[in-house]
Amino acid sequence: MAVELGEGMLVRVQQENFSIDAELERVRSRSRRIGGIAMFLGTARDRSKGRDVSSMSFEHYEGMAQKKLQEIREQALRDFDIIEALVLHRYGPIEIGENIVLIIVGAEHRADAFKACQWCIDELKKITPIWKMETTPQGEVWVEEHP
Amino acid sequence: MVKIKLFGVLKTMVPGGKDLEVVLSEGGQVRDLVHFIQNEYPQVGELLDKKKVLVSVNQEIAHWDTVLEEADEIALLPPFAGGSCDAWANGRVKFNGG
Repeated sequence: MAVELGEGMLVRVQQENFSIDAELERVRSRSRRIGGIAMFLGTARDRSKGRDVSSMSFEHYEGMAQKKLQEIREQALRDFDIIEALVLHRYGPIEIGENIVLIIVGAEHRADAFKACQWCIDELKKITPIWKMETTPQGEVWVEEHP
Repeated sequence: MVKIKLFGVLKTMVPGGKDLEVVLSEGGQVRDLVHFIQNEYPQVGELLDKKKVLVSVNQEIAHWDTVLEEADEIALLPPFAGGSCDAWANGRVKFNGG
C-alpha cells in the first residue's frame, strides 16, 4: 500500500474521510520495532442524550486545533513507552456511521499501546477546540459535553 | 480595535453570528474585554462568568490580566465537543484569574 509517510501526516484535522488501513500502515511503517498497535476510532452515532440524531457537523478552531493535537502526540511520545502515535480528527458535516476521530499508537508491547491510546483520546476530548452540532428532531443543537 | 473569533453555540448568541470587533484602550486586558462582553452580550457574559466560555489569545488560554494588542488573535471558546464540565473547571484548560 502506498501511503505518504513522514511526521507531518501523523497529526491532521481534515474534512475528508480517512482510510483506517492507510493510517495503520503509516504508523506500522515508522519502525520495525513496533510489536503492538492500539487504535481508537470514534464514529457518528444516531442517538445522543436521549435524542435521535440524523447528522452532525464539527467546527474547529483552525490552527489551535492542530496545535493541540500535536501537543497530545508529543506528550504521549514523552510520557509513555511507545514508538509512534497518530491523531486525526475530521471537521465539517459527517453522516451517521462515518468516521470522526482516529488514534493509533504503536509500541513494542500492547500494554503501553493501550494506555497511551486511551490517554490520547481522553486528552483530545479535554483540550482540543472542536465543537459538535447535532441535527435532531428538535432542531440543531450544539453539544456541550460528551464524557 | 481587536477582533474576536466566535465558535459553536456562541455564534447563535450574537446578532448576525459574526466575529466581534471591540475597541480597547491602550493596555487593555482580557478582563476589560470580558466586562465589555458582559455589558453588550449578557448571554455570552453569563457563560464567561460561569467559566463555561474561555478566552484564548494567540491560540493559548488567556489569563484575565493578559494585556491585549491589536495584532493578537483572540477567540471565545465554548466548551469543547468532548470536554466534561469537570475537565473544563479542573483540567489543563482552567481559566486562571478573574
